[in-house]
Amino acid sequence: MSVKKVITGDHAVATGAKLCRVEVVPAYPITPQTLIIEHIADFVNDGELDAKFLTMESEHSVMSAAAAASAAGARVFTATSSQGLAFMHEMLYATAPLRLPVVMANASRTLGGPPGIWCEYNDSMGARDSGWLQLYVEDNQEALDMVIQCFRIAEDKRVRLPVMPCLDGFVLTHTVEPVEVPGQEEVDSFLPAYAPDITLDPARPSMIGTFMPAEYIMELRRQTATAMESAKKVIMEINDEFARKFGRNYGGLIDTYQMEDAQIALITMGTVTSTSREAVDELRKEGKKVGLVKLRFFRPFPSEDLRKILSGMDAVGVFDRSISYQGGGQAYNEVRSALFGMTIPIINHLAGLGGRDVTMEQIMKMFEITQRAANGEKVNPVNWHNTRGETV
Amino acid sequence: MFEVRFHGRGGQGAVMAAQTLAEAAVIEGNYAIAFPFFGAERRGAPVLAFTRIDNKKIYSKTQVYAPDCVVVLDDSLLDTIDVVAGLKPEGTVVINSKDKPEDIDLGKELRTGVINATSVALEILKAPITNTTILGAFAKATGIVRIESLEEAIRRRFGEKLGAQVGERNALAARTAYEKTIIGKSKAIKKLEPKKQWLPTYQELPVGGALVEGKTDAGLIGPGSFIENKVMGWATFRPLRDKEKCTMCLLCWFYCPEGTIVRISDRGDLMTNYDYCKGCGVCANECPVDAIKMVRARA
Repeated sequence: MSVKKVITGDHAVATGAKLCRVEVVPAYPITPQTLIIEHIADFVNDGELDAKFLTMESEHSVMSAAAAASAAGARVFTATSSQGLAFMHEMLYATAPLRLPVVMANASRTLGGPPGIWCEYNDSMGARDSGWLQLYVEDNQEALDMVIQCFRIAEDKRVRLPVMPCLDGFVLTHTVEPVEVPGQEEVDSFLPAYAPDITLDPARPSMIGTFMPAEYIMELRRQTATAMESAKKVIMEINDEFARKFGRNYGGLIDTYQMEDAQIALITMGTVTSTSREAVDELRKEGKKVGLVKLRFFRPFPSEDLRKILSGMDAVGVFDRSISYQGGGQAYNEVRSALFGMTIPIINHLAGLGGRDVTMEQIMKMFEITQRAANGEKVNPVNWHNTRGETV
Repeated sequence: MFEVRFHGRGGQGAVMAAQTLAEAAVIEGNYAIAFPFFGAERRGAPVLAFTRIDNKKIYSKTQVYAPDCVVVLDDSLLDTIDVVAGLKPEGTVVINSKDKPEDIDLGKELRTGVINATSVALEILKAPITNTTILGAFAKATGIVRIESLEEAIRRRFGEKLGAQVGERNALAARTAYEKTIIGKSKAIKKLEPKKQWLPTYQELPVGGALVEGKTDAGLIGPGSFIENKVMGWATFRPLRDKEKCTMCLLCWFYCPEGTIVRISDRGDLMTNYDYCKGCGVCANECPVDAIKMVRARA
């Protein structure tokens, strides 16, 4: 049976990993992820989790060990953040095309320089082309639930790719809120043991990750791309199954709020979604037909879902918590690609970089600017919110 | 445009040959590019290099598929590779071989220039590095560059790297080969079948490229499949062990990078599996009692 606990996002993630009966956890601490691996270390030490907990000398080694343990057939979990994720960048690219279903939580944190410890998405955005699935959660409950779903998605034969659930540094990692912790037997019946066809096994020799000439790498890339595409359907199926079993439906690749009759939509990621729900409620009270689209998965990118839900909008605003130094944020650019050919004004709202708080006032401003674009007014395509300089 | 494909083995200097030819062409006021194509490059493994020569800037960055000339630095490659694939019918083949052109079976009758470049190189350079030697034969067989330009290019490229004396000796090797090259026509007896290769579609390729031991139309795949990859042809030299001198210290067995030295425990003896010996000479180098001599694997 499930139990309600008041815990941090990090604790929720660690608890999710424990419920998944992860077998190997290579770890290296980094703020604001540290609590995740400390909790897991406690679980292992207290005999609550039967896993090999490996303290590594660097994040690069963490991902090397994670890939190797996964290739040996173990269910592998780890967590990192910011510079740590950057340090394991090389190994991220080794994990995905080799189709090793590692799950790694990323506590979103600004990637220096300059050094900082607060929430920004420029750490994980740098890994968007590595072949990892990537999702951004909104609260601690979703953080826990998605660790469980992530293993199902990652290990599905149609996917077999690593998955990176991202939770906002401090805004979730160090914030306590009530979380419904599912019972072990419920999770066991939802998530069967990992059983890959080929593993590194001395009794049955195999080659995984060996040198591959040009005659094969195009096919391997195509295979990986096909798996990423297949993940869209699998994510939806697993979302629905989870909803039936646990009573919590997250919507799949995207979630929507008040979109039925909306004329203006704001696309958000992570915890800003949560605050934006209240902003939508406020604006609805004023009779404004606004709605919210929560971009849950960034890889695979839900282009089809967005085209469907945003068709007929007067204008769309896109929130970004990182910049690609080229015409705005990453989500903005992806959304523009997804909506190519549609004549909807798309406005970028940059906010919260480096961990600057994203306030209700700023979100209201995002809706206001998007509304002005819908009215046919000329507005900046990329808007820096709450940033000193010319006002938007 | 004149296009050349070099076939060699890692360590023979095919890449340097292609670059030096390009330099010689540039010395003559032409434009030229040269580039290599490697697999997993190792000493002795087959390698490709290409040179393109034109009287104007060359934009094409692809490999050469229809060469005007094919240069073969090692005639052992003829057994495993269709070196004349794509060669234009009026094209020229330049081969390092002890045989006469009419005795060389290329599967086609082709204009062929032959030089025993290994012998010339061993004599003048004291090493089986045949790249400069074969360039002399190229100049004679094609007339695309003058031997004087090649000598100058060799002096520049080899002299700069290895000293003026080495440059001079390599220029002499080229000149010697130029004078000794015999031109004739190859014979056309063998039927060359392209080597079968396992080329799965992206759906057929096992997930993540992970392989267990397996068999395909094109041979073995996965762990253990390299047993089919016999490398005796790579060797210029092979080790001969003097059993009288050998003290069975096993240093050679320990150091052999390919594990080709096998212990026969019931006789307290060693055996070299020449199928997989590339003739690297590490065993002879490590032997503390000089019981191993490297001898020419072929003439």
